[in-house]
Amino acid sequence: MTKSNGLAVGLGVLGVVFLVIAALYAVGLLQILTSENSGPHYKHAVLFAVLAVASFVAANFARPKTAV
Amino acid sequence: MGLLQGASELFPVSSLGHAVIVPSLLHWSFKQSDPSFVPFLVLLHLGTATALLVLYRDQWVVIIRGFFTAAIRGQIRNDAERLAMLLLVGTIPAAILGVFLEHRIKSLFASPYVAAGFLVVNGFLMLGFEFTRRRAERGVSREEQESHFAQAERISFVAAAIVGACQALAFLPGISRSGVTIGGGLLAGLRHQEAARFSFLLATPVILGAGIVEVPGLFKSGVPIGEYIAAAVLSGIAAYASARFLLRYFRSGRLDPYGIYCIAAGLVSLALLEFGW
Repeated sequence: MTKSNGLAVGLGVLGVVFLVIAALYAVGLLQILTSENSGPHYKHAVLFAVLAVASFVAANFARPKTAV
Repeated sequence: MGLLQGASELFPVSSLGHAVIVPSLLHWSFKQSDPSFVPFLVLLHLGTATALLVLYRDQWVVIIRGFFTAAIRGQIRNDAERLAMLLLVGTIPAAILGVFLEHRIKSLFASPYVAAGFLVVNGFLMLGFEFTRRRAERGVSREEQESHFAQAERISFVAAAIVGACQALAFLPGISRSGVTIGGGLLAGLRHQEAARFSFLLATPVILGAGIVEVPGLFKSGVPIGEYIAAAVLSGIAAYASARFLLRYFRSGRLDPYGIYCIAAGLVSLALLEFGW
């Protein structure tokens, strides 16, 4: 995987965005791309939480490692 | 239904296709529009996922440990860590497509005729996977053939993502999730048994996740929870037995018999439905 601080920061920010979207779906404030137009959407919230975790993991992989 | 779902979920013959066709042919009173149908399916899937977790319990412990170690370190250093990351990469496309498309696709194609038609397509897909694989192996003995192919941990990340995304094809009733993922694994260069193992490992988080998020629906009034739990247990037992059988079968077996079965079952179902069975 390409290592760069810029990429790592970008993926970290993406992770935060996914976390916010997950929270909005979980409390029912976000209704985009859902089959019912009211209430919380736990399936969507879980998906974006997983995407957030994946983004944070990818950010850690993209971070240049210092030699010990 | 529990036995049918548990057995057909892991065999490359489409559980959804069978769940649509068989009740229709046998005049069972399952209606997908019934409010208690979703909780029923949820419990059956939880039964299947539990069976897969029990079957691979040791591997899941290593995979989960490998995931956290690699994620925190930011580096992959062994096969378990690589497999954990491959499963994450393979699960994401399936999860995205599942959340946004599953309901729409299933409601569009939930007809016994369509399911029987796609079952025939699934059969040709299985034969196609094997044909492609066999062409690459011409002139080599059966044992040698398998030894030239890789273990699940060696699949590329791009291939894992593509195999994972292929799971979305299984939203079409008649197309088998395990069939397309095993076939995808074969095209990516895995041994048959390893392709089946990767398929089952990949299916576990998706089936389990889809089941768990629907659990609140189980507590609605009018859901005969006792009967549904009994069906889920049967589903789990059937899934466990199916997985054990398939892993043994794929040491030397191929997808062809399942392809032929799907084509025959699809055509017979179409004929029976057409002539008002």
